[in-house]
Amino acid sequence: MSPDKTPRVALIQFPGSNCEWETKRAAEATGIDCDVFRWNLDPEALSAYDGYIVGGGFSYQDRVRSGVVATKEPIVARMMEEIAKAGKPALGICNGAQVLVEAGLIPGIHTGNVEMALAPNRPDAANRIAGFCCRWVYLKLACAPERCRMTTRMQPGEVIPIPIAHGEGRFTTRDAKVLEGLRANDQIVFQYCDAEGNVVDRPDVNPNGAVDNIAGICSPEGNVLAMMPHPERASFLRQVPTDLGGPWAQRRREAWGDARGLDAPGPGRAIFDSMREALLAPQPA
Amino acid sequence: MELDERQVVVSQMDDEELQAALDEHGVGLTVGEARRIAELIGRDPTLVELHIFNVEWSEHCSYKSSRPSLKLLPTDAPNVILGPQEDAGIVFFTEHDGRRWGIVMAHESHNHPSQVLPVEGAATGVGGIVRDVDCMGARVFGTADPLRFGDPQGPNADRTRWIVSGVVDGIWQYGNALGVPNLGGDIYFDETFDDNCLVNVVALGVVAEDEIIHSAAPPEARDEPYVMILVGKPTDDSGFGGSAFASKMLNEEEQAEARGAVQVPDPFLKNVLAMRKANEAVRRRAREKGIVIGMKDIGGGGLACGSSEIAAAGGFGVDIDLAEVHTGLEGLLPETIMCAETQERYVLAVPEHFADEVLAIYNEDWDVPNVYVGACARVIGRYTEDGMYTVRLGDAIVTQAPVEAVTSGILYDREEQPREWTETEPEFEQPENLAETLLQVLGGPNVCSREYIYRAYDSEVQGNTILRPGEAGAGVTQPLEGSDAAVALSVDGNPRYGRIDPYWGGATAVAEAMRNVACVGAVPQALTDCLNYGNPEKPEQFWEFRQGVRGVADAANNLWLKGYENTPTPIISGNVSLYNESAGGTSVAPSAIIACVGTMPDYSKAVTAQFKHEGDAIYLLGARKNELGGSAYYHALGLGLGANVPQVEWEAERARIYAVTEAIAEGLVAACQDISDGGLAAALAEMCMGPFGRGSVGAEVEIGAIIGDLRPDVALFSESSGFVVEVCAGSEERFEALCAEHGVEAMRIGETDDDPELEIECGGEELLELSVQAMADEWLHALARMLQS
Repeated sequence: MSPDKTPRVALIQFPGSNCEWETKRAAEATGIDCDVFRWNLDPEALSAYDGYIVGGGFSYQDRVRSGVVATKEPIVARMMEEIAKAGKPALGICNGAQVLVEAGLIPGIHTGNVEMALAPNRPDAANRIAGFCCRWVYLKLACAPERCRMTTRMQPGEVIPIPIAHGEGRFTTRDAKVLEGLRANDQIVFQYCDAEGNVVDRPDVNPNGAVDNIAGICSPEGNVLAMMPHPERASFLRQVPTDLGGPWAQRRREAWGDARGLDAPGPGRAIFDSMREALLAPQPA
Repeated sequence: MELDERQVVVSQMDDEELQAALDEHGVGLTVGEARRIAELIGRDPTLVELHIFNVEWSEHCSYKSSRPSLKLLPTDAPNVILGPQEDAGIVFFTEHDGRRWGIVMAHESHNHPSQVLPVEGAATGVGGIVRDVDCMGARVFGTADPLRFGDPQGPNADRTRWIVSGVVDGIWQYGNALGVPNLGGDIYFDETFDDNCLVNVVALGVVAEDEIIHSAAPPEARDEPYVMILVGKPTDDSGFGGSAFASKMLNEEEQAEARGAVQVPDPFLKNVLAMRKANEAVRRRAREKGIVIGMKDIGGGGLACGSSEIAAAGGFGVDIDLAEVHTGLEGLLPETIMCAETQERYVLAVPEHFADEVLAIYNEDWDVPNVYVGACARVIGRYTEDGMYTVRLGDAIVTQAPVEAVTSGILYDREEQPREWTETEPEFEQPENLAETLLQVLGGPNVCSREYIYRAYDSEVQGNTILRPGEAGAGVTQPLEGSDAAVALSVDGNPRYGRIDPYWGGATAVAEAMRNVACVGAVPQALTDCLNYGNPEKPEQFWEFRQGVRGVADAANNLWLKGYENTPTPIISGNVSLYNESAGGTSVAPSAIIACVGTMPDYSKAVTAQFKHEGDAIYLLGARKNELGGSAYYHALGLGLGANVPQVEWEAERARIYAVTEAIAEGLVAACQDISDGGLAAALAEMCMGPFGRGSVGAEVEIGAIIGDLRPDVALFSESSGFVVEVCAGSEERFEALCAEHGVEAMRIGETDDDPELEIECGGEELLELSVQAMADEWLHALARMLQS
């Protein structure tokens, strides 16, 4: 595809999806055409798209486990074929990440096998009233930017503020080898960290207790990314909380009263920018 | 067609027999009411009819005790698009893309269900209010939850904690799954709520004025046949008796029994119907074809209420065949099908020729039958011009009554009897260590940070949130894609003021909600009220209700809509919840809970409460007065409630609200906070700490010049109305001039500095000095400690 063409993405909509419109907006802000693709449409139509986003929500009411029922839909099978066959990029956010893990795409060491889980958030004094936790956290890019096709536009070791909103987001595995494999393969893309970028396992830093503070994992080929935080809710400067502290909040404060200035990209935009690049240049296996 | 043979032969029974018959069938109507029904329909009623009137004449559906009082509330103003006659009110928002847009607003209570089954009770509360807003044709973009719980440290603390945790679970499980951001709420703890919590909920939506859908069969139904479509969950027996039970007070035993009357929520099905999915697809198709439809949520009172009201509101009758209603249980009695409050259902009025298309959108495009077992859309009846509410089952007519008689309800003239407040102001010495006292106030149940609870709510979904819960007095969002216009929402109502004086309880709730909206920079545009009071059959409790309504009405009438004189800030929707009593028969704190929605043309000008930069001036607007009645200060010191409840001076209040919004719009203000619980001292502390307790800008404040004869502690903790404003360095003169134009005295009380500390002096003598860290340790974590121990 030529670089001046507008790439097209299908945003998979399940019953219970609830982040379709802000995700579409975030993708379109970076020059991606994004169609909301309903679960019962003809799966064949998916092959016309350059890549896929599986967004947030509570697909199928989180029945059985978050994300698992959605993986039984024919459109997911079709999407997996396209990803495997043509190396198309795919981004799973929050519930979408849960779907990709349950589908065996992530970590994908043995594609199709469910090798990890997104378990209920670690209960601790900080979130005992409810398992669900919505707040802004910090993410560190843990791999080289070019390792994952959804982070090529980020800086090495970059730290960004970003919101999470989930009850079941704790990356975990029973198989120590999977973890070793992830590290050896450099598939850990994002880790929760403090404002300075230190990856420490404290409840205020690692909000769900994920192993190794993992917030996002890519496939071995690097074309699929599953992440629990919401980049679409951090895609515009106006979405950054005024009083968060740090350079992004400072930028937002400086743009007070300037609505167009606040339309500027937010800290999560680089993920969509990177995805656009990946869509324009798929890397078939 | 024969009339259902299960008639109650009212005409041939004496009072005792009739009472026995009503009891036997579980109908809560009085003997007198049953006879009145027989008169209205001109014969002995069928059992189904009695059940229908039972729900229609419940306090919850008919407002039979409250309706005359509600006439006091001002509901009209130049910006009102739709007042409180349908499922939700609508106020003008902004012009965009050559069209006029409105904010749809609704406010409900789910108090009784939440007391007996907190998770389900609170969840169905969210569900109901979202349906109310959605069915007006709007996109739902925010909710807020005003909650009132018992004393978390008192004798019933265990149950209170169980209720708090259940209610919060219900709200997040439903609201988050649906995909509606939480924009705020407020929480008060007071021992009068030990046996009866209050769970109110507010929802907002946005709609283009020419796309409003009314809760009525449209006039077009006179020109061509219109049918009634029922869509949603299959009707079952859940919530049967819900409205009737919400209309009385419950003892322990009845609470256990009443659990069956609580509805069962399903946010998943609701997500597919409401959240820019199936319902919106139906409305879009209708618009494209130039077809006018009606749509109404089925909530309290079930199908009986929903189907009769959508017909009556358009001046039509309706003829329903119960055999066509999809049910989720075998062998349901017709009265159960009519009155169960099964969730996630709507009724529509659509032209007969369009019905198949609507059914296909729900049943095929959006696959409703596979989303929830047994759910679907079906045609269940047709609108008629005979003015009759007719319901058939097989060969029998189970109900046939004038639709007006069914929906127009009944009125009671209740007696009111003023009660006296006997508590007086306490006599006490000023505490020696005011820093310690401020920490106690900041850690008190009604002042401490709510983060522990609101963290469970998704306040980010939809991606439009500008100010989140905790960041400012109001939540702010920018709901209309492509427009910079913003909406601010706040909910307020201090129950401890209501206990002392229900009139000022109501009035201060209105003023505080408006102040909170103003302090982000938004102009208050409309109000909703949920009036939570005790037993209207008890004259003193009915007086409390009446006083509350008078207070709300006077405040709304006198705090004029900005830009107009002698024009109220309109009350565009609301709800009344009565019979909120303790097991011993005393009322909960009289609680008018007010939501205020404000607008600003440019979201980028919204300000938060946290101090922004060193070297700015700090101003106080609103003189301190000896108004510590019901204060967090008295509570922290264990001094009871006192007597001097804060009052509202209409003209001064109005002027301050106008001055603050204009100052923010002009860019003079870096941060703003309203003064409420904990007074000036708590407001300053919160501005130093910020929402995360990590503020890096401190304040040096001198109050000697502004306290007059007041003792310093009274001035610091009095909850008299006012604002604290951080004015950007260099803008002081303009700020003072702008305030003066409004007749507001801008009292400069200090400045910000780079030392994260709050220092307050009086006449050069230090009153207190506290670091942000020390204050945040208390303020941020107190609620978790209270609810976990």
